[in-house]
Amino acid sequence: MTDTTEQNTEPARIRVHGLEKSFGDQKVLRGIDFESQRGTSTVLLGPSGSGKTTVLRSLNVLETPERGVIGIDDVEVDFGQLPAGKAGRRESNRLRAQSGMVFQAHNLFPHRTVLENIIEGPVVAQKRPREEAVAEAKTLLDQVGLGDRGDAYPFQLSGGQQQRVGIARALALKPRVVLFDEPTSALDPELVGEVLAVIKDLAADDWTTVIVTHEIRFAEQVADQVLFLDGGVIVERGPSAQVIGDPREERTRRFLKRILDPG
Amino acid sequence: MRHVLRGVVLFLLLVIVVPAQASAATARDTEQPVVRVGTEGTYPPFSFHDPRTEQLTGYDIEVIKAIAKQAGWKLEFVETQWDAIFPALDAERIDVIANQVSLNDERQAKYGLSDTYTFSHGVIVRRKGDDSIKTLADLKGKTTAQSATSNWAQVARDAGAKVEAVEGFAQAAALLAQGRVDAIVNDNIAVLDYLASTGSDDVEIAGNAGKETSEQVLAFRKTDTARIDQANKAITALQDDGTLREISEKYFKADVSVPDGGKADLSEGRGARSTWEVLRSTAWPMFVGLLKVTIPLTLVSFAIGLVLALLVALARISSYRVLSGLARAFISIIRGTPLLLQLFIVFYGLPQIGLKFNPFTAAIIAFSLNVAGYAAEVVRSAILAVPKGQWEAASTIGLNYPLTLRRIILPQATRTAVPPLSNTLLSLLKDTSLGSVVLLTELFRESQLAAAESNEFLALYAFAGLYYWIICVGLAAAQKRLETRLDRYVAK
Repeated sequence: MTDTTEQNTEPARIRVHGLEKSFGDQKVLRGIDFESQRGTSTVLLGPSGSGKTTVLRSLNVLETPERGVIGIDDVEVDFGQLPAGKAGRRESNRLRAQSGMVFQAHNLFPHRTVLENIIEGPVVAQKRPREEAVAEAKTLLDQVGLGDRGDAYPFQLSGGQQQRVGIARALALKPRVVLFDEPTSALDPELVGEVLAVIKDLAADDWTTVIVTHEIRFAEQVADQVLFLDGGVIVERGPSAQVIGDPREERTRRFLKRILDPG
Repeated sequence: MRHVLRGVVLFLLLVIVVPAQASAATARDTEQPVVRVGTEGTYPPFSFHDPRTEQLTGYDIEVIKAIAKQAGWKLEFVETQWDAIFPALDAERIDVIANQVSLNDERQAKYGLSDTYTFSHGVIVRRKGDDSIKTLADLKGKTTAQSATSNWAQVARDAGAKVEAVEGFAQAAALLAQGRVDAIVNDNIAVLDYLASTGSDDVEIAGNAGKETSEQVLAFRKTDTARIDQANKAITALQDDGTLREISEKYFKADVSVPDGGKADLSEGRGARSTWEVLRSTAWPMFVGLLKVTIPLTLVSFAIGLVLALLVALARISSYRVLSGLARAFISIIRGTPLLLQLFIVFYGLPQIGLKFNPFTAAIIAFSLNVAGYAAEVVRSAILAVPKGQWEAASTIGLNYPLTLRRIILPQATRTAVPPLSNTLLSLLKDTSLGSVVLLTELFRESQLAAAESNEFLALYAFAGLYYWIICVGLAAAQKRLETRLDRYVAK
């Protein structure tokens, strides 16, 4: 939550309450609560195994939490009460449709061109007119700096370009929220910058984003709100200047020191 | 790929189904009742193909035609190997057997037999100069080659011989000449014909197989009393007017339609031909068998099999226990039993519970199911080889399961599946030769027919092999092109 003095009359864009999730015997989320306002960026930090990626994937229902409530805009799902079978799937799908996802490994469809990757969701899933989707896709490609690569196959692009296509594909769905799952972790260092620049533009552009990343400097610049997770709970939260610049919790400090000063 | 396959299936169904129905319709239109005659077509001089005309002919064929003329039947000949003849009669795929059926108690009890139209006696055939075999008693402990369910096989067994099952007399004679068996018991006329037409120096008649005359009859189903009556009346009439004697003398220079009509003489033979002539006259029928049966059977079975394989693979992957259990059981049964047995179950077994299919349909069913069993595992592993991230990405952009499968997963799985599926297709093409045992006259059966008549085993089977090989080379080339096409979106 941002600490602005501005009065928010509308409810938070993302509302997460009491999220719990286990893989087998291992409890990975032990009660996660947070909210994100419209147009803000929330960055999730934490050591591996802390549960940050599971939180992100739960927002898109790639993981189904056992308990807790997730609300995005006007869709709210109480996973403790999720009906079994078709009805439950329908609710999950409605929630999923509220967000777009950018994967660590981009997961572009290799047998489709860049343009086809982007319009697949709008045309096939959302049943929007193809011409309209193509026009929008071209605008999005311009926006991520790949206006001339629409007819290329993913394998013909660099890793950074592929990830930018992944971002355009997520945006083409016109989601309420864009989720980033370590979008630069799989990239060569020299390609990281171009992807982060695109995400920064989005954050500045009124998109609501949730980002899992290890790029602390980037997080510092882009985040309105930082959540530090460890052991399935949010250990510390606040504006980036506070959580990254002046952490209060010992665990946060240790983590940041390890990342920023690995020697 | 999908569109091509769909097109091929539809086209073939049109090609096959439409003429089949058309011919069925014309058969119904005629007034005369159709009687289906089961015969070997590989048992000269009783039932064989005239090498010059390719037409089915022989003593039994002419006799049954004469009987049909008397009785007012319209005949339809169904050619099959001996051991499949009685099952075919039981399964109502044929109505009568005209193939020198010897009268014995067992057959008398089970089938409706006509009056006798051939009297002959059995002989023992040995390798030239093998003095250890002279009479039936000498067969004790020896090995003979016989059609497993023939009367002569029973005679050999009763004499204490071990019986190697073969598909016809020509094969038995070849085994004897090659020294793989010690003797053959068969009808003296068939043996004389073989000796005369091949000019074989390798085998000779050792003596009579017992003293008794053997009587040959037509076999019907027990319940078919009306036709048996008609046949008996016709046989009597043909004996009275001398037609039977005429036919017999044409083939044997003796009247075998009466108990003591003289000694059969087949010394003129049927005219031996050179290997080259045999090949030249068989090349076309074999090509027709390839084009009209082997290839359509392969393509249709493969197309249907692939669709089934996809369904089975999806069931196998599915999280519904019952569904995946059923799929697993299906795959296990198909892969755990011989294809030939599956074919026999569909063709001979299912009619016993009221499910009767014509030979082509039965073969399609058996081969499709077999392809499905094998290809299902290929398809399953190809689907599982598509990275999990592809499923996730598809679901985050809002595609449901069928759309994800059709638009994202299967196109990628196809790439992985093409090489192993091509193997399945090549195997299937060659396995269709098993169709020869369910009354299908495909490529291999054509070569068998020709070999039985001419004894040119090596040349004919090698030639049939050449046909199969050429088609396989073509398919392998098509596979290569398809792989190149599917690789267009993969980094080289």
